[in-house]
This record gives sequence, C-alpha cells and structure tokens, in this order.
Amino acid sequence: MTESTYSPGLGSAAPPVRVKQMSRRRAKLRQNVRRASVYVVAIAIAIWILLPIWLIMTMAFSTSDAVRAFPKSFLPDPISFNNMQFFLNSEGVLRSTLNSVIVAVLALVISTLLAVPAGYAIARFVFRGRDAIRLGILSVRAFPIVVLAVPLAVVFIRLGMYDQAYSLAMMHAALTLPTTILVVASVFMSLPYEFEEAAQVFGCTRLQAFWRVVLPLAVPGIAAAAVLTFVLSWNEVFAAILLTITNRTLPAQILYNLDKSSDPFKFAGGFFMLVPSLIFIFFIRRYLFNLWGQLNK
Amino acid sequence: MNRQKLLPYLLLLPSLIYLLLFFAYPMLESLQLAFRREGQYLAVRAEPNDTAAVVGTLAMQTDVAVLGRERLEETLPNGRTRPFYWFQIEGTDAAGQTVQGWASQRDLFIESRTESETARVVNGQSTQEWTLEYVQRMLSDYRFGSALGTTILLIVLIIPLQFILAIIMALVLQARIRGSSLFLYIFAIPLGISDLASGILWYSIFTQRGFLNSFLVGTGLLESPFIFIRVGNESWMILAIVLAEVWRATSIVMIIVVSGLQALPSDYVEAGQVFGANLWQRLRYIILPLLKPSLQVALILRTILAFQVFAVVVAIAGREVLSVLANETYRWYDPQRYNSPNMAAVYAGFIMLLSLGISLFYLRAVRSQEEAANRL
Repeated sequence: MTESTYSPGLGSAAPPVRVKQMSRRRAKLRQNVRRASVYVVAIAIAIWILLPIWLIMTMAFSTSDAVRAFPKSFLPDPISFNNMQFFLNSEGVLRSTLNSVIVAVLALVISTLLAVPAGYAIARFVFRGRDAIRLGILSVRAFPIVVLAVPLAVVFIRLGMYDQAYSLAMMHAALTLPTTILVVASVFMSLPYEFEEAAQVFGCTRLQAFWRVVLPLAVPGIAAAAVLTFVLSWNEVFAAILLTITNRTLPAQILYNLDKSSDPFKFAGGFFMLVPSLIFIFFIRRYLFNLWGQLNK
Repeated sequence: MNRQKLLPYLLLLPSLIYLLLFFAYPMLESLQLAFRREGQYLAVRAEPNDTAAVVGTLAMQTDVAVLGRERLEETLPNGRTRPFYWFQIEGTDAAGQTVQGWASQRDLFIESRTESETARVVNGQSTQEWTLEYVQRMLSDYRFGSALGTTILLIVLIIPLQFILAIIMALVLQARIRGSSLFLYIFAIPLGISDLASGILWYSIFTQRGFLNSFLVGTGLLESPFIFIRVGNESWMILAIVLAEVWRATSIVMIIVVSGLQALPSDYVEAGQVFGANLWQRLRYIILPLLKPSLQVALILRTILAFQVFAVVVAIAGREVLSVLANETYRWYDPQRYNSPNMAAVYAGFIMLLSLGISLFYLRAVRSQEEAANRL
C-alpha cells in the first residue's frame, strides 16, 4: 500500500487493495502529479499575496528619488531609510500614529473588560433568553459601520465628545464587542467546568475559582481576541475620518491628505500601516481557525 | 439563591447596555437625521400678541414689508415701562404663498421702529418636521446613480472571485503538503491589512510610474507607460480595485471555509472517492453542499462589508472620478464641503437597506433550495 501524505479531507489517495502492479505505479504517478500541482497552486497563491507587500517594502526602504523614478526596480537600490524618515517626519504623522495607538489600546481595554464577564455568563450559565441574546449579538456584528458613524458623529458633537481619542475608541469597542464576546464565550466553553468545581470544593468562592483557575487558562484565547480588536481599530478608517479632525488617527490622516500626497509619502505610509498587522497576525495565527470555528457554535 | 439566578444577567448587563447605546441609539438618531428637517421659522400671528393664532410661517432672512405698527408697553423689572412694538408684516413663505400678520420687534431686524417700511426676519422657533426632502435629493443627485452602479459592479465582481479563491486556498491547506503551516501564515497575512493600505499597495502597481508599467516597459512589451488610472479608463480602475479587494479580503473567507472543511465528516468525501468521483465531482456534489451554512454566513457578512467599500476606491481612483456609496456618504458629511449630516444619514441608511435586502435574499434563496431538496 502506498503511503499517503494527504489528510482524509481531500480523499485519501490510497488505491483499493487488489490492483495490478501497473495500476499501482500509475496511481503513484497520479498521486505525485497531484501533489506537485497542489504545490504549484500553493506557491502561485503565495507569490500573489507576497508580491505587493514586497513591492511596497522596496518603496518604503528606498530614497524618495528612487520612488519617483521610472521604471521602478524590483529591488531597493540603494537600501535607505530616507523615504521612511521623510514620511515619519511629515507633518502630523507621528502624532496621528500616537493617536492610533491610544485609540486602539483604549478600544482593546474597553472591549475586553466588557466581553469577559459577558462571555463567561454565556458560557457557564443556562438562563432564559440565552439563545436570543446570542442571536442578537451575532446579528449586531453584521451592522454597517457607515450607518453608525454618521449619527454618532452628530451625537458626539452635541455632547461635546467630538474629536477625542476616547470617543473614537468607544465606537471601535462597540464595533468589535460582539465578536469579542462570542470568542471569549467559546474560550470559556472549551475549558471544562471541573476545574472551577474542584477549586470550589477546596474552599474557593465562585469568584476566586474564576480568578485563579479559569481565567489564567483562558488568557491566551482572550489575548488573541484582544489583539484582533487592536488590529481592527488600527485599520479602521471610515469612522476615524468622520469622528476626528484635529486628533486624527493614522489612517484618517493619510486618507484625508491622499490627493495632496506625493507617491513617496503614500508608499511609505502604506507600508507603515501594515507592519503592525503583519506582526500581530503572525502571533495569533494559530488561534484564527479556532476563533472562527468556535464563533459558529 | 435569587442572586445566583440574576448573576448571568448582571454579568451581561454592561455589554448589553453598551451595545444598545452604540447601536440602537444611533439607529434612531440616523432615522431622525434622514427624515426630519430642523429649521427655524417665525410664527406670524393674527393679532399683535403672543397668544394669537398663527396665520403663517416665514423662513429666516426673509425680507418683509411693514404695513403697520402697534406700540405697546412692556414692564421692566424695576417698574419702569418702555415701548415695545409689534409690526404688521407681509412676506412670502417657503412655498411661495403670501403671509400677512403680526410679528414683534424681537423677531425682526428693522432699521427704525417708527418709520421703516421694510424689515427682515431674524428670529423664530425651532421646528422639526418629517420630510422626504433628503431622500428625494439623494435620488435625484447626479452622482447617486453612478455611485450605486459602481458599488454594485464591484460587489458582483469581487465576491464570486473571492469565494472561488478562498475555496481553492482552503483546499490547498487541507491537502497538508509539507510547509502547510508556512502557507497558512502567508495566506492569512492579508487579514490584518486595512483597506486603505491595500488600496495604496495596488495603487503603487497600477499608477503611471508604478510597478506594472515598470514591468511592461522594462521588458519591452510597451513603448511608454500606459496610464491606467485616469478619466476614461474606468474599467482599468475597476480592475485595480477588484484586485485590491480580492487580494485583501479573501483570507477572511478562507478562514471560514477552512473551519467549515475541518468540521466536515470525512466519510462522505471518502465514499465519493471510493465510488470514483474525481475532484471536481467531489467538490460539487459533496463538499460544497455540506459547506453551505458556513458559506452562507460568510457571504452575508462579506457582502455587507462590500457595500461599505471606501478607502480602496479613494486610494486608487481618488474621490472625484469614481465614487461609491460610502464615499458619497462621507462627501455629504464632510464639514469642509457639503456639511450635511442629513444627506449623509440618508446615504448611510440606503446602504443599510441594501445590506438588509441582500441578507434576506441570501437567506431566502438558501432556504428555498433546501425546501426544494427536501421535497425530492
């Protein structure tokens, strides 16, 4: 029997038992061809994804003159921080980056603080209205940001909260809260209740059992959800451009000045915006499938 | 005992209140913005006093003719009196009708209270009235049709491509070739990339001095750079936007598909293999139908997001040449341009309507398919 390196997902390539020698060799050839073609497709897609990132990276690490040059080379030559420095020193960039970080961190904190008790409640308790609430939270996820941003802007102006980091952060938290609640709920659901029961047998109150036993175990999953909130807030542009004027976040700053910006500025800015995302997604990639799979339960 | 029962509700309460505050309340506010006009109108009265009947209303800054005046007295806190005038005025209201009646000196700007023949309305009461004016303005706006058309065109092009690519990516990952985890990371990279960054990336490729032209000219396929992004080359711009969105947002769908695939019972697929189905047949008759629930949810979420496409379009095509619904929303809101939250709210509401309609359509379409299948 030939060994198969395929998972049953695509169907095992192991042929039925009673086959002649020739068929077996033909089957093996077919299997190799199939495996090779999967590789080809995988590499093609990988190139498709990586190429634009590589290209913008060359622009980010070139001199501004090299960015304006034509034709452009596919390798930075020379490698220089000149363009990046030009971008970072441009007016408003560092400030808006700081604003972006502040807003994202605030959104993360608010969202996590609200989601953890809510997720725990959904995970551990059976109560009337549980399914309705879950359904409600799920449908809120689908809400268009555009519809929320306009009236919130008006309301914030009225309340004197306009153009502040904390108000934008609150809105981002509201946008990510449904997802975070459901993720936290599934994280808690995957941890057996026996741990808390055991802790309570040994004299802990329910709160202590939660705090000392379950919460530490849940931290990686909760952290992954928190990171997602951060990335979402960092990237968010429509609400940001509506709700901030003097305290712009980075995407709002770049978008607002896009038609007046030079190419070197744009390219460096684009690269700068996607670096944190690259880093964060690297750290939470293992959780990604868990996050979605559990969301659907 | 009772407190135990309340505990889950208490834990949920902050989140629910928060969500209500940030979703339900803006929704109501949005309806108000879209359908109510706030204005200031002067109530013109039948008699020269505040309690008389109102015969008509005049808008601010309306010029009126002074037909007569009545001098009354008002009493000051210290007991002294001073004259207080009412004027009989005549002017045209917003609908073009002539309004004649009395208004006090509080509400008019008049050069000389005793002698002037004309005055101007400067004060009145705030009123709110339901109106379809904003909706009408949106529907008749010259950019509305093209914004709607562009948005729909983008959706029709992007979504099928994304789903096909996502399924391919998911199947590749599912094959567990060597290096799968590296491919997993690479395929998931665009997850964290914002639509603005993606737009800039693909702009750098399609712009006149960009990489695509560099490649074409450098290899001699073209004499001089082709200007992809300009008025008249809308198709190229649409292509660039479609590529940017497919590049960026496919990973999200891929993750959903992979999770769905992992949940599939492998027996079905193996049975198909044993019975001689090739890959395409296995895909079409076994895998895809079983994936339908996941795909349905992904489709709804992705389409709703697609109706709000904004930064990609601005990054590649600018704000003026090619517009989408979200861009129009921002344009109307922008304090430096039209500064009309009302119009912005109408556009946003329209996006919402489309999103709802599409979701219902998807749900109903899938349900009818299931019903048809059950009837067999």
